[in-house]
Amino acid sequence: MTSFVVAAIAMLVALVPAGVVIVRGTLADAVIGFEFLTSVAVMVFALLAEGFKRPSLFEFPVLLAVLLFGSGLVFVRALERWL
Amino acid sequence: MVRQVITDVLLTLAVLTVAASALGIATMPTAYARLHYVTPAAVVAPVLVALAVFVTEGLDENTGETVLALAFMVAAAPFLSHATIRAIRVRADGDWRGPADRTSSTDRASGTGKADSHRAGGRGTERHDTERHGTGTERHDSAGHDNEIGESR
Repeated sequence: MTSFVVAAIAMLVALVPAGVVIVRGTLADAVIGFEFLTSVAVMVFALLAEGFKRPSLFEFPVLLAVLLFGSGLVFVRALERWL
Repeated sequence: MVRQVITDVLLTLAVLTVAASALGIATMPTAYARLHYVTPAAVVAPVLVALAVFVTEGLDENTGETVLALAFMVAAAPFLSHATIRAIRVRADGDWRGPADRTSSTDRASGTGKADSHRAGGRGTERHDTERHGTGTERHDSAGHDNEIGESR
């Protein structure tokens, strides 16, 4: 198990507090928790791709970073106008 | 050997940054305070991870893709934070501007409030039920301004 995989696992553990905030917090808190979660998720996928030496998997964090930024803006807009 | 040590140090710093951010998000009392802790995880940690991949792999395709993804995150995070804090403020106050700015805007509209109503109302930002928000912020109505904001919805 390389240090990249260990770092990915540690970052996944760090998502637990954000998950608690998403579940138990208010709507605004949940959106903030979601933003934190998405940021860490992109890093986790990059770390796992490097840790397992799978070059093809490096495309996943690239796509995820773009899509999650758009989805974050959609959530924020919905929070502002409709929720 | 040296590369491995540098990589481990960079990854440790990245994990510590994310862990501290997670702790801050879990413990802060308000959404405004929590949002501050998203930034280190979205800006600082990706740089450290990208550097770790660069140190391990050197300059190749994997490094390029990692840097691309994480650089996009670093560039996009401030915009997302700004949009989020704006949305939370609109939910809490009915308008993203402070009370002083709203008052001066109303003064410029010669007391009719039309300009202000047009600017703010176009966003459909009226919120009156404080129970729904729960963002830890108090709502301050400035001279009945909320009534103007939502008229054009």
